[in-house]
Amino acid sequence: MAVTDKNILTRLYVVAGFLFLFAAAVLFKLVSIQLIDGEKYQKLALKRTERMFTIEPNRGDLISDDGSLLATSVSRYTIRFDAVTVSDRNFKENIKPLSEALSKLLGKSSSHYQQLLRKAKTNKNRYALVARNLDYSEYMAVKDFPLFNKGPYKGGLIVDQKTVREHPLGKIAERSVGYERVDENGYYTRVGLEGAFGEYLRGVEGKRLKQKIANGQWKPIGLDNIVEPKDGYDVISTIDINIQDIAHHGLLAQLEKYKADHGCVIVMETKTGEVKAISNLGRTPEGKYYERLNYAIGESHEPGSTFKLMSMVAALEDKVIDTSTVFDTEKGTWRIYKNTVRDSKHGGYGKITAAKAFEVSSNTAFAKMIHNNYKDNPERFVNRLMSMGLHKELGLPVKGEGKPVIRYPGDKGWSGISLAWMSHGYEVSLTPLQTLTFYNAIANDGEMVKPRLIKEVKELNTTIQKFSKEVMNPAICSKETAVQMKALLKNVVEQPWGTGHRLYSPNFSMAGKTGTAQKNYVSKDPDKLQYISTFAGYFPADEPKYSCIVVIHEPDRNVGFYGADVSGPVFKSIAQKIYATSPLVDEVDMRDTKDKATERSYQKYYAEAQKKYNKVPNVKGMSGMDAISILENLGLEVEVRGNGSVKRQSISQGTDLKQVKKIVLELS
Amino acid sequence: MRTVFENIKGDKAIWAVVALLALFSFLPVYSASSNLEYVVGTGTTMGHLVKHAMLLILGFGIIYGVHRIPTHFFKGLSLIALPIVLVLLGFTLAQGTTNEGANASRWIQLPLVGIKFQTSNLASVVLMVYVARYLTKIKDKTITFSESILPLWLPVFLVVILILPANLSTAAIIFSMVLMLCFLGGYPIKYLLGIVGSGILCLTLFVLLAKAVPDIFPNRVDTWMSRIENFRNPADTEADYQIEKAKIAIATGGIVGKGAGKSIQKNFLPESYSDFIYAIIIEEYGLIGGFTLMFFYLLLLFRIVVVANGNQTIFGKLLVLGVGLPIVFQALINMAVAVELFPVTGQTLPLISRGGTSSWMTCLAIGIILSASVKEEVKKKSRSKIDDTNPLEVLSGQL
Repeated sequence: MAVTDKNILTRLYVVAGFLFLFAAAVLFKLVSIQLIDGEKYQKLALKRTERMFTIEPNRGDLISDDGSLLATSVSRYTIRFDAVTVSDRNFKENIKPLSEALSKLLGKSSSHYQQLLRKAKTNKNRYALVARNLDYSEYMAVKDFPLFNKGPYKGGLIVDQKTVREHPLGKIAERSVGYERVDENGYYTRVGLEGAFGEYLRGVEGKRLKQKIANGQWKPIGLDNIVEPKDGYDVISTIDINIQDIAHHGLLAQLEKYKADHGCVIVMETKTGEVKAISNLGRTPEGKYYERLNYAIGESHEPGSTFKLMSMVAALEDKVIDTSTVFDTEKGTWRIYKNTVRDSKHGGYGKITAAKAFEVSSNTAFAKMIHNNYKDNPERFVNRLMSMGLHKELGLPVKGEGKPVIRYPGDKGWSGISLAWMSHGYEVSLTPLQTLTFYNAIANDGEMVKPRLIKEVKELNTTIQKFSKEVMNPAICSKETAVQMKALLKNVVEQPWGTGHRLYSPNFSMAGKTGTAQKNYVSKDPDKLQYISTFAGYFPADEPKYSCIVVIHEPDRNVGFYGADVSGPVFKSIAQKIYATSPLVDEVDMRDTKDKATERSYQKYYAEAQKKYNKVPNVKGMSGMDAISILENLGLEVEVRGNGSVKRQSISQGTDLKQVKKIVLELS
Repeated sequence: MRTVFENIKGDKAIWAVVALLALFSFLPVYSASSNLEYVVGTGTTMGHLVKHAMLLILGFGIIYGVHRIPTHFFKGLSLIALPIVLVLLGFTLAQGTTNEGANASRWIQLPLVGIKFQTSNLASVVLMVYVARYLTKIKDKTITFSESILPLWLPVFLVVILILPANLSTAAIIFSMVLMLCFLGGYPIKYLLGIVGSGILCLTLFVLLAKAVPDIFPNRVDTWMSRIENFRNPADTEADYQIEKAKIAIATGGIVGKGAGKSIQKNFLPESYSDFIYAIIIEEYGLIGGFTLMFFYLLLLFRIVVVANGNQTIFGKLLVLGVGLPIVFQALINMAVAVELFPVTGQTLPLISRGGTSSWMTCLAIGIILSASVKEEVKKKSRSKIDDTNPLEVLSGQL
């Protein structure tokens, strides 16, 4: 086989040609990937490597009228331990001190933590739970513990942070503060103030485009967020935590005393409609009470005698009666179409004026008053009630307001006795807040102010929006009527015959109306008969500052059920605590006379201390404390013998400081 | 320094291409270094560049040194080097450095310097020189197959068998390059076909053995099977993941690319600085970069052909082709893997990849080529004299 230059060359061309073809194929494939599949892979690239992240904004604080936090977002930390990343040596060296430190901070025994950590190490657990729900300061402490201070890789510390909503007031006003939850479909469950003002509190989610890098990490693309997150605004509510506290505990005490099913209290500022306190307590099967439902706003029920105010205002406005019109209470019962209206006082009140009928809360007088005057034209009465807005919801931002019911003649359920029954608060239905709003309007001489839970929306210290008084109806009645009714409401408490007289106190004034409504009266079973005890009113009687309503449902009948007995005391205690215990002003003289000797010695010390030394100063005669201070500031070690002022110094004045380390002072 | 430049001999175009490729190699190394730093967490980004520069400088030292050696010296050198290489290969295989549980005993640790050395690269160069020598020796004879078994096929098979368990693709490439060289050198084609047949038979036997007794060569066979299986029938596996990332890199590179260091896929492509470097280069420098790189390799191929053509001796020609064509072939294989024209192998891109010592062996080959390109100048002066005085030549003649 003769190999010549020539045939090598021929074969070489074959091989080189093959390599060129190979190269051409590579380039062809390269271009085809870009042209044909390019779009597909570019999309895939975005899908695999880029993602839009949302940045949760910080939810705003819910703040009370007086600046206390009602709800705020705080960080909570869960500490876990990666036992695999920690070297055996580090683990052995640190497990004891770490366990002891954990035990000291978190309370469980040191051996508990040792066991936990050792078990994690044996099982190669990379996510062992050490502690849950630590607050920030605890978290900072844990971070500095032995082993954990080596960080996530050497120390195996894993920290999961989450933001939770805290209620510094705890269970007080929990329901009114409420919450807001959002499910995966973006549907919000809104409760209480949190829900009502969610739009302000929530803030705006930020958006950040991130790119995947190695180790499953994501790095942000670009300098800016696509959408900047915007923290939620702070909402300042009208709730005053002091009043809230008084209301809460007053209600709780009474509910416990009467073993009632549930109850609520609302305190409202008369002039502005600001709700200062709103407390709702319901009973658990165990007999404990907690903020269960928002009864004050949500529960519409037959108000009973508190409605007599509305009836009387209507009658006075329509001028069908005046306060001195006399009604015969007929021994306490009045038959109307086979039904009987009864007074709570057996035997009735005889012949009484309309004013006294209100003060003693006579059902028969009111039934007659309304029935007799409106029976030919019942629409007139209902129209009057409606003109006062009693059939409309208040339109609160808080979800779940109960619907008021005022029947119109001809409506389903309307009958010949409807007028008589409506007159004292049956066949109508109102929520406690709606009733209170009406009482508040009377206290305001007829101006009906909308109850309000929000005062201001703020971003840090900047006001975003201010909410002020909202008038629903400038005059639900004439001023004369309002003034007349205010006098009657005052008499309910002040006059010895008034149903609320038991609440009377000479120290402070209050006005209001009791109400004791029957519940479940439709069933003939007397055991099922329950009561709703109410007291609605305002204080002080002459210049109303706060309006308040207390409603207690289903008190134990064996203990009592009258509005004045059950609800009245809560009202009284609130009024008393807000007004009767106004703070005392004690003046104490400030004693600011200076002791001359002290002053002199201080001046001497100050003069010495201000001088710059490079030589040992003379401290003889100075007080020991001052001398030590000066010498130590010069960097000397000072030894002291005895008490008092300096008698002798071991190194004399004028020695160069550089040569001196320690000085001994003798005091006497 | 001046004398060094004066002493630079040989094909200037090859020098230029190699220098350009070496310079270009800093770009992907620079790009990869940040990721290496982040993932592996050793060294600094600058450190990787400095290390690469040191390796290249040493590499150029090798080129310079080797290209000063007269071409015919390599005949004898290959004879001396072959047994050493076989021992080294045996040692490498025996030590069995594990790579993620798979038996990837491809490297030996160089003592003192702490650099890993891939012995198969050296073996490849030495074996090609050896084969070129043999083919030159038999150029005028008509040989039978049995005559060529001992001097040609025994060393070839020994080398291939020693590399095969740890690195199938390198073994296959070395084997096919030997076949190519034999083809160029006029070795009878019918014998070559027989060898190919027996080679395939051997491989089959090896695979079957490994399957039957998995403890001998753990995992490696499975890796090959799954890689080839994947190439034929893409499924959602590791290799598929790599190919997908490589394709994403190529697709998002566009015409001009994203710019130096801005590759995104380097974060997800394992071996982004060696096996899949071509995809990363296209992502960063676009089609322009990809085509330019290919152009330089083809230019290298062209110059190798020119040098081979110009060399007056059969040995010179075969030597140049024997050590030169594998460089280009390996480059093409690497690129073909990135564009999914070829199953995933562990081949680096010669002179570009941050391969460390494998680039030295490329430099060795380049040096040999350059030496062969020098020869024609030197030869005119004193060819016969050198022939007579070269003791290695005498040794070569004896065998």
